[in-house]
Amino acid sequence: MSFGSPYVTLPDFTYHKPKTVDEALQLLREHGDEAKVMGGGIGLIAFMKERLMSPSHLIDMKGVEELRNVSQVPGGGLRIGAAVTLSELLEEGKLGKEYAVLREAVSKVADPMIRRRATLVGNLCEAIPWVDSPPALIALDASVEAVGTEGKRSIPVSSFIRGPVDIDLAPTEIVTAVEIPGSRGREGAFEKFTAGSEFSLASVAVVTVNGGRKRIAKVVYGAVNSTPARCTEVEEAIKDGITPGSVRKAALVAFEKVECMDDVLASATYRKHLVKVITMKALGRMMGR
Amino acid sequence: MREISVRVNGRLRKRLIKDNELLLDFLRERLEVRSVKAACWRGECGLCTVMLDGALVKSCLVLAVEADGGEVKTVEGISPGGELAPIQKAFVEHGAAQCGFCTPAWVLATHELLRNNPHPSLADLTEAVSGLVCRCGTYNQIREAVAEVAGAKPRGRLEEGLART
Repeated sequence: MSFGSPYVTLPDFTYHKPKTVDEALQLLREHGDEAKVMGGGIGLIAFMKERLMSPSHLIDMKGVEELRNVSQVPGGGLRIGAAVTLSELLEEGKLGKEYAVLREAVSKVADPMIRRRATLVGNLCEAIPWVDSPPALIALDASVEAVGTEGKRSIPVSSFIRGPVDIDLAPTEIVTAVEIPGSRGREGAFEKFTAGSEFSLASVAVVTVNGGRKRIAKVVYGAVNSTPARCTEVEEAIKDGITPGSVRKAALVAFEKVECMDDVLASATYRKHLVKVITMKALGRMMGR
Repeated sequence: MREISVRVNGRLRKRLIKDNELLLDFLRERLEVRSVKAACWRGECGLCTVMLDGALVKSCLVLAVEADGGEVKTVEGISPGGELAPIQKAFVEHGAAQCGFCTPAWVLATHELLRNNPHPSLADLTEAVSGLVCRCGTYNQIREAVAEVAGAKPRGRLEEGLART
């Protein structure tokens, strides 16, 4: 048996499967820093194998029925419960045209077997730089709903992710949902560069909203730096429309302005090149829409 | 330790396990289902793929305790009477295995694809197996085996899909 050796085994812990958010909060209060909350477990189990995390209590949220829903918010918008998996999000009719950027991002995460377990909220809470859904959620102005001893609060995704593996969440708080505001005329596209189902080396989420003659654009880059970041210069380049000319210009601006990092996966120079290419691909698909 | 009961290939199995045990270890070590392979241990190669409650999952990323009360199917479960399933016969015929280490996972995944989608396009196939790796590189033979079961030869949708790429 392989029990005991790192990389292939997990540290010792006690497993809990609460049925309600209150029950989960109670467990968190009891065990504090010793506990970790688990969604699909994809990231957490991997971290635990490498002993980057060794919680002595694991709180599995898969049994919390109230977090398993995707619901329409009255007045427009979508509320995605913390236990909703990525494959559930991709089911027919769950993410309509106005959420296209998220649908595209989620459909390209890892592979179908991983997507059957992974949750959107787990993706966010993991906060590793090369995850695909955060740039899409930031482009959609999404926010995170967290519940703790002090009550409920809402945090924009852009500030929820403070840094790599660093999120704005107290040890006694649980993320219960992601909320995305609705917008009728909203369109979007997501592109990434990756080798097979490996981590992304660069990704871009583009959202545009048509309001009469004005077009508001949001362009967010992921996997190129320690946290996803907007590039307002690229947004500026396409504000008068997405045409062959503005796409070319936006790609060059992206190459110039998007800050890229060097790491073991790719050099900053290579990432800058990828940024140019994926900007062209994403905007190219949105041209003439 | 706690006792869990899991229906594996139709048979109810009860074992004492530790909370930190992976479904992969539970199947291989406690139940000796050795068709489930342990290779990368990090959800990348897909060789530990099993069906859990009707969906394909990578068992190195699932806790054994999570399968308590559930149902697991491995490659043994697709030919219950000992008679090979059509996809298994096609794998043999097309030589869709070299060293054979990854074969159980590929058979299970392609069998499941064809069960849900009897006439997959090349894109459907590529997507369905994107989480699996074959280091011997028998991808073309696997594609031919799937094409045959899908009735796509000689000019079915799968081969047409291939021609376009």
